[in-house]
Amino acid sequence: MTVPAPLNIDQVYHRCPPEKLDFETTETLEDLELPCGQERVLRALEFGASMEGRGFNLFVLGPSGAGKHELVERFLGKHASEKEVPPDWCHVYNFKNADRPKALRFPAAQGREFRKDMSDFTDELRTAIPATFESEEYQSRIQELQEEMAKRQHQGLFDIQEEANRNNIAMITTPAGFTFAPMRDGEVIDPEEYKKFSDEEKQLVESKVEELQKKLQQTIQQIPRLRKEVRERVHALNEEMVQITLGGPMGELREKWSHLPDVVAHLDAVREDVVEHAEAFQDGESGPPAGLLVRYKVNLLVDNAETQGAPVIYEDLPNHQHLTGQIEHRARQGTLYTDFTLIKGGAMHRASGGYLIIDSRRVLTQPMAWESLKRILFSGEIRIESLERLYGLVSTTSLQPEPIPVSVKVVLLGDRMLYYLLSHYDPDFLDLFKVEADFEDDLDREDGCYVLYARMIASMARGVKARPLTRDGVARLIEHASRLASDQRKLTAHDRVLRDLLSEADHWARQDGAELITDEYIQQAIDEREYRASRIRERSMEQITRGIVKIATGGEEVGQVNGLSVLRLGASMFGQPSRITATARPGKGQVVDIEREAKLGGPIHSKAVMILSRFLASRYAGDGELSLSASLAFEQSYGGVEGDSASVAETCVLLSAIAGVPLKQALAVTGSMNQHGEVQAVGGVNEKIEGFFNVCRDSGDLGSQGVLLPESNVEHLMLRKDVRDAMGEGRFTIYPISDINEAIELLTGMEAGVADENGDYPEGSFNRKVQDRLAAFAKVGKKRDEDNDNGEGGKNDDD
Amino acid sequence: MTMTDQPESVPVETGSGRVLVLLDGSRLSLAALEAAADIAALRGHEILGVFVEEVNLLRSSGFDFALEIGASSGAARPMDSAMLEMRMRSLAEQARRSLQRAVASRGLRQALKLCRGRVIEEVLSLAGPEDLVVMGRVGWSAAPGSRLGSTARGLMRQAPGDVLLWAELQRRPGRGVVVLLNDEQGANHRALAVGIEQARRHRQPLTVLVRSRGEDGQEVVKAIEDQLIARGAGARVRLIPRASAAEVARILRQEGPAELVVSRQCSVFDEQGADQLLVELNLPVTVTP
Repeated sequence: MTVPAPLNIDQVYHRCPPEKLDFETTETLEDLELPCGQERVLRALEFGASMEGRGFNLFVLGPSGAGKHELVERFLGKHASEKEVPPDWCHVYNFKNADRPKALRFPAAQGREFRKDMSDFTDELRTAIPATFESEEYQSRIQELQEEMAKRQHQGLFDIQEEANRNNIAMITTPAGFTFAPMRDGEVIDPEEYKKFSDEEKQLVESKVEELQKKLQQTIQQIPRLRKEVRERVHALNEEMVQITLGGPMGELREKWSHLPDVVAHLDAVREDVVEHAEAFQDGESGPPAGLLVRYKVNLLVDNAETQGAPVIYEDLPNHQHLTGQIEHRARQGTLYTDFTLIKGGAMHRASGGYLIIDSRRVLTQPMAWESLKRILFSGEIRIESLERLYGLVSTTSLQPEPIPVSVKVVLLGDRMLYYLLSHYDPDFLDLFKVEADFEDDLDREDGCYVLYARMIASMARGVKARPLTRDGVARLIEHASRLASDQRKLTAHDRVLRDLLSEADHWARQDGAELITDEYIQQAIDEREYRASRIRERSMEQITRGIVKIATGGEEVGQVNGLSVLRLGASMFGQPSRITATARPGKGQVVDIEREAKLGGPIHSKAVMILSRFLASRYAGDGELSLSASLAFEQSYGGVEGDSASVAETCVLLSAIAGVPLKQALAVTGSMNQHGEVQAVGGVNEKIEGFFNVCRDSGDLGSQGVLLPESNVEHLMLRKDVRDAMGEGRFTIYPISDINEAIELLTGMEAGVADENGDYPEGSFNRKVQDRLAAFAKVGKKRDEDNDNGEGGKNDDD
Repeated sequence: MTMTDQPESVPVETGSGRVLVLLDGSRLSLAALEAAADIAALRGHEILGVFVEEVNLLRSSGFDFALEIGASSGAARPMDSAMLEMRMRSLAEQARRSLQRAVASRGLRQALKLCRGRVIEEVLSLAGPEDLVVMGRVGWSAAPGSRLGSTARGLMRQAPGDVLLWAELQRRPGRGVVVLLNDEQGANHRALAVGIEQARRHRQPLTVLVRSRGEDGQEVVKAIEDQLIARGAGARVRLIPRASAAEVARILRQEGPAELVVSRQCSVFDEQGADQLLVELNLPVTVTP
């Protein structure tokens, strides 16, 4: 087997071809309205926004900082502008049931007009009705009425008095009423004298008195009825006068709003109510009670007078009240009260007929908000109910406004995890959010994409008010986007990182007084970011250079190799080498993963170690028994090990321990391996290589070091400039490997050797050494077994 | 020219007169008592309460068949002398207390005259030409709607001095004092003097309406204005035609006064329905001889 050729610098870095960027600065580039490479999301948005069916709400999923909100808002804003403006909604007093304010629908902008009409009408009531009551006409009519009634009352009594007088009977007032007594010459006859009257005379007088008493009683008892009649006639007069006064303005309003039957019905109810309360308007000075006039107000809940197209609302605090609206209370003398004017609309009201954008994590963390949102989407109407009432916490009087029908497209923004969790655990979720718009993390880096990506960068720069970029600056940013995507054939679509980088580069350019952002400023921004995040990395590196953490970058050692690991801290990642060691002695075919035994190894790592132990057995033991007791450890690792990217290194170090062949410490190894010894791709290769490079550079003897990495990882390489420079100077080498034998040959300098048809490896090859050593182990093991069987054996350490 | 805010130091006519107030225990008589006390305080006169036990009433309770019909309820209940006597005594006592209360705060001299007989006769026997008789327009349980009782009608025409017929305060009280005169000079002097005094008392503008046949109206106006100047008062003087009582009532309603002063000799009283004028104008009226 031939050793693979080391990579050249063009293979480890995909440059941005300058000829693809046909501009001097981004100033000349047009804005890119929609991001490139997000066709899936855009098609989902297009579909979701136009799809009329129920439940076709959208969930836009993607990592945070991907620019979901901005894209969705921009897209929907464009889409909504072509749609018609939704109607206005008002709450008005319900004269039949005051606790259930009515909802009135108006074509857009007419709600505001109606509110003004009613306000003007109320003002008119305030002046016109008292004026009517003040008028000569009313005053004289009411006086006529009262005089007539007084006369009727008085006449009854007067008639009785006349009748009494005619019969010589006096009707005398007493402190509490009236009495009758016989009289002569205008004076009541003395009772003593009366006694002298004949019986006939007495009977005549007394029967007349009795008759008069009865008549008087009847007359007096009719008085309340007369009074009631007066009241009724006064009320009828009042109503008549108010009707006439209202006739004009009300007629105009009815005419104006005749196209809306519900509004006309409300106007009629208002007129009836005013007429019914005519007396309350009589007092011209203090005016009618405020509580009465409030009933004719209009609470404009949704005002689309200034809305262009369909509304696109982003609710940044999507709690229950903000979504569904609320009924506020006012404190008056220690009591809370409310009326229909205190009903406040929510985001759902405002977004009705359009789009409501909500952050899914926020809506889920607000009490009841998610349930309320779902209820509205299911029922298609908004029913305002306060949270405290839903929980039954308060019992103040409240209102139950008439529900308002709502047709709103809700767009939830959230990360993928939330989407999948909701799909799994909330049975309603997929019924309501049928359209999934999944953001791409990366874009394909093809020839055609450069211009679009440059335009996207130009738009972004304008968006963050940064200076224009030069062509070199754009090229550097594109290259960095590939590095961020960890792929030579991809560009990151992560909006926030690019935006931040642009802002930072702009900052450095401003500090230098530069007009344009060149590649230097982009590089400076990248370096500064890295430096800011480098404290831990530098501490870790210092430990290695000071020899506290032992890493050899030269010489040869048996049972010791440099593995490569990656640490992620916050938003930054860095790689560093780890020393992996192995021991081997005869035993019962087991490889002890010390990490796992110490519960520091994760399941993937354990799996990788099991794979390598089966690889050993199948490759070297053939049909025989693998008599091996080996151990593997990450030296000076205290924080746990996970992943299978060290399995090539572990295999090599184990084989070195078995064969007793030293490995070159100038090389570090990464890559996973299957049971047949094929090397497979791993992640974080750039960071790993750069981590090892840093160690070699800092140890001061950079010259012959290098890294072995899976061949399939080569297209993920976007290495730093200093690494590339060292490679160019031949001081650092990267070998792509596809098979474990290639790693063995590179690390040992020996031929690995290929097994013949009997499974034997050529004499002098590395694999032969391993095979022989294992055979020797087997022999030792067998002898020990026999000794044990004969009862002579001592204790076996490994048992 | 209206008269307002005249200083109180303007001399008022003081003399030997008294203020007689008819007390019968009714609500309106109590209101009249307050008005009487105000006037007495202003004039520095003695106030004499008069409580008359109407003999007709006392007699009527002596019949076996006598029943009292409640003014509001219409319920009939037997009436006997002993009970009536007791009620009269308690009303008299109430009248005394009211009188004492009314004068106590004003520092007036007062006396209460209790007598038995016919009200008009008793009052006429007590009152002199200088005395002002104050009374409610109606007494107890005057029939609902009645605005001028029989006693008021009688005294208005017969009293030797001025009679103030007190009325309940209206829902929308008017403003100003109106003196209604005719163009014969006769009794104008006294009516005008009373009008000026009332206007001062209430600090309200004074209006003088003169019923005129036309030709010599302006002279009368001039004479009245001279009188007003002589008394240091100002007023608006207006000529009105000598029309019917109903027409006068209409003109008065237009003026909307709080109080009216009219002479018994005013020609309006010669006409039919003069009483009706007073009935329709439900406001305090002073009738001068």
